[in-house]
Amino acid sequence: MEGESFTDINGTPIFLDCQSHSTFCREFTVTSPKVPVTKVIVFTCSIWLLAYAVFLFTEDTVVLTSAILITLVSMMLYVHLVKVEQETLFIIGSLGVQMSSSYASGRETTTFIELNKIKDIVINEAIYMHQIIYYLCVLLKDPSDPDAVSSVVPLFQSSKPRLNCLMKVYRSCQEILSKCP
Amino acid sequence: MVLKIFYPQCCNLANSGLLIGSWIQGHNSAVVLAVVHYPFIPGQVKRYIQQVSTASGVKLSVLGSWSLPSEAEKGVENFLRDLRTIFPQDRWLQISRKMGQTGFNCSILDRSQGTILFVHYDQRNVMLSQLHPIQTEELDPSDSELRQVFQIVSLSQPLFLLDRYDDGPLKSTHWQSGGQEASIIVELLKMASVPLCLTISCLLHLLPLNFLCSKLSTCVQLSYRSDHLRALSSPKTAVGHSEFMRKANVLVSILVDMALGFLLMYWLYSDNHISMLANALVPAADHVAKELEELLQWLMGAPAGLKMNRALDEVLGRFFLYHIHLWISYIHLMSPFVETILWYGGLSAGLGLSFALALLSDMVALLTFHIYCFYVYGARLYCLKIYGLSSLWRLFRGKKWNVLRQRVDSCSYDLDQLFIGTLLFTILLFLFPTTALYYLVFTLLRLLVVVLQGILHLTVDLINSLPLFAVALRLTRFYRLAEGVKFSVLCDEPDTPLHLLMEINPLSCASVIKTYRTPTYSCYPKDSWTNLVKKLFVGELIYPWKHKTIKTD
Amino acid sequence: MGPDSAPDPPVPWRKVLWERQPFPDNYVDGRFLEELRRNEGLRQYHYWAVVKEAGSVGQQLSCVAIFITVWLYMEQGLLSPEVLLLTSLVCAMLGYGLHQVLASTVDSGDEPRTRLADLQSAAIFLSFTYGFSPVLKTLTESVSTDTVYAMSAVMLLAHLIFFPYTQPSPPGSLSLNAALFASVCLASRLPGALHTFAMLSCALLVFALWPCLLQRLREKAPSQFTGVCVGMCIGGIGGLGSQSLVGAVLLALALGNVTFFCPLLLITLQRQKDNIQGPWDEAEIHEDLSHFIQ
Repeated sequence: MEGESFTDINGTPIFLDCQSHSTFCREFTVTSPKVPVTKVIVFTCSIWLLAYAVFLFTEDTVVLTSAILITLVSMMLYVHLVKVEQETLFIIGSLGVQMSSSYASGRETTTFIELNKIKDIVINEAIYMHQIIYYLCVLLKDPSDPDAVSSVVPLFQSSKPRLNCLMKVYRSCQEILSKCP
Repeated sequence: MVLKIFYPQCCNLANSGLLIGSWIQGHNSAVVLAVVHYPFIPGQVKRYIQQVSTASGVKLSVLGSWSLPSEAEKGVENFLRDLRTIFPQDRWLQISRKMGQTGFNCSILDRSQGTILFVHYDQRNVMLSQLHPIQTEELDPSDSELRQVFQIVSLSQPLFLLDRYDDGPLKSTHWQSGGQEASIIVELLKMASVPLCLTISCLLHLLPLNFLCSKLSTCVQLSYRSDHLRALSSPKTAVGHSEFMRKANVLVSILVDMALGFLLMYWLYSDNHISMLANALVPAADHVAKELEELLQWLMGAPAGLKMNRALDEVLGRFFLYHIHLWISYIHLMSPFVETILWYGGLSAGLGLSFALALLSDMVALLTFHIYCFYVYGARLYCLKIYGLSSLWRLFRGKKWNVLRQRVDSCSYDLDQLFIGTLLFTILLFLFPTTALYYLVFTLLRLLVVVLQGILHLTVDLINSLPLFAVALRLTRFYRLAEGVKFSVLCDEPDTPLHLLMEINPLSCASVIKTYRTPTYSCYPKDSWTNLVKKLFVGELIYPWKHKTIKTD
Repeated sequence: MGPDSAPDPPVPWRKVLWERQPFPDNYVDGRFLEELRRNEGLRQYHYWAVVKEAGSVGQQLSCVAIFITVWLYMEQGLLSPEVLLLTSLVCAMLGYGLHQVLASTVDSGDEPRTRLADLQSAAIFLSFTYGFSPVLKTLTESVSTDTVYAMSAVMLLAHLIFFPYTQPSPPGSLSLNAALFASVCLASRLPGALHTFAMLSCALLVFALWPCLLQRLREKAPSQFTGVCVGMCIGGIGGLGSQSLVGAVLLALALGNVTFFCPLLLITLQRQKDNIQGPWDEAEIHEDLSHFIQ
């Protein structure tokens, strides 16, 4: 429907988009900001300047070549493996929960958890570096013991929104989950 | 309550007719498998469903009716309702498409109105895919819904045999194969494989491969490959997905191995590469021996400024020098035959690259036998000193090791025991650095050889265990190995139920390798690194490449 | 509320934990300090008795000094190994005779060693030392002299510290081993294999056999023991004096310190002793438990 701006745990602005397809099917998309151009330029320039400084001493062009290659490869790896641009939580009542994250390069990874494996969706606390953060997570049922929790799947792992954003998502999720026992 | 209808994409534009499918036990959902078109004779439809049900083992039934917009006229409404009396069912679905709408409409008769969710699936992909982790059990109502959908679709293959071109009384729409290509060749291969398998298994039974010694890695590889061939040539067909995959992986890895081996052979026997290698080998061995001799001379002086016991140093150095002398004469005795040996050894590449590598590893072991000997002598001497020193140190403090209680107890020794013990302790303590240095140097040399052999073994192991067939399957037919599914919204219109598209989420390459790799010896746990370092420190002999035997229990 | 300010209750306080009483848990009444005891089981020492006992420490110190003297003589070539061997042999024979005489006067030993066993031990000592002396000779060749001296000094100090002065026979293994280690180190610095052999035999005599004889002497003839100690001390000082005067003076000072000053200090400080015991101490089990440990 409409988007809302929030901040993540570091204070960077993120964008939450809620889409309601039906009464029992909702999609939450958290969009992180793109990599700022200044950061890329600073990173590239610092590596190239360093390589050029080494080149002045050694007078070996291999240094420059390798510096360019290293920059390119590391950028590609960063874009392909590290930088997550969008994280989507797709909750379908009576079917399950689907989490997908799309990387800056366009790569997408998706995991679907069936409803009969889910025990609950809760907000949890965790110690992260030197602070305590909140995160949304899916509790999975233990197949042998229906009351026990076998494992915890954290949601929005790379965007890490703040509590107010999580509360919004949590309320809608619980609304859908309560409708389909 | 939400009713989920799994609908095949190929039936989106089918002519009107009856929906044939199955209700999923324990869940409020239905899987549509095919549409049988008008006109039909109800008795024939019933018989056909009966036949397919017994053939596939899935409880098929008529789920409802399907109508395209062209026939959406007044009289049809009643006709569709009457159909239900012909095929009595608990629930009767009426799915219809309207002009100007992408989504379907659906109404359930005789039921409290609930919301409906359409999940569209690709029938071929779902039928052929294998959901991971693999479960071999039969249909179970408590099982997960998706697994049941996958199982129902893949089991109802007999339903899809009814071809579009068949001129029978029934016409239906479902996934249809485009015919099997090159089926004559495949059939011929299948026919030929039976006697081939039988002969190979007979040959394998005749050869006493089980008694091959496990010291040489070539023999290990031979017995390993024979195990593979035995598994491949068993007269029974593969039952279940995992066994089939295992056989296919083994077959592909053998074929790739042999192809690489032939490439190697081609390179070896063209341009006289063999004699070049042979001519290079003997000087290389000579060079290694010369380097070793220099190393020993250096050790016999004052290596790195260390002051060692001169007498012992000289004794050890002379002993090792004599050994090298023996070694060089042995190499020179062997040198005329090296080329022939290499020529015949190169033939082993015809059995596969892994054999050639295993043979190379054995040859490295044989050519560095002197280093191994030095290592063993050094380690034994060092081990003796370490144990002697530790027990004499206990005597020095007036303690002893209590074997029964596994601890150090105090003990009163006799005067002569004390005297001799201290004498020996002093001697061992002062001679220890010399032995330790020799041990250190030879262990480093040995580790170098072990690392080389380890790389060879790793390569052989990679060839043996890499599931090439599974990886190729993942790359070319990504839907065959499914990790799960993913959903996306297909169409969301205000008056129609929600339509989702279900796609196959392919297994990641890393988990393909992890799931399907052929179990080899390297899969079994080995010494940990700390254990290895401990063994090195105490002076026990290390054999990192030695495989543990498979435990039967 | 402190433990002493409890109100005066009608029931008297009892020192039991199993019944509920109207007192706080840490309550004690006025009789608490009545059971205080001071310096229980104190033994009053007499100065001369302590001096006599301390003589054995001084005697051991002098033994080490004598050994070092012998080694110094050997190193400088003033004493030939043959002479040392001969002297050692004579001393050993004399000592063995004395040992036997003292043993026969009061026959109390439960299983006396036979002559054959003694002979066997002696044969083992001599053969091993003689066999190993060429090896020992080259042992510390590459080690620097300072290292060897430092090692020997530390080991001899360890010998003196760990020596079981109250019961010198059998000798404590750590102290004997330390002394033997030191003597092997020192002996390996001597010019020849025979020197090493002679030095080790001498070490065996001084560090292993002499304490046994001394112990026997102390048990059987306590009056002579003091004389022997004094003789040893004088011998040590004299011997060291012939090589280095400073050493002799230092040794004399150390001996005086150990035998006269330290006992005086002990007696003086004993008056200051104030050791209190009472019901707060942890429980001691006085019952004989030996029949449990079977």
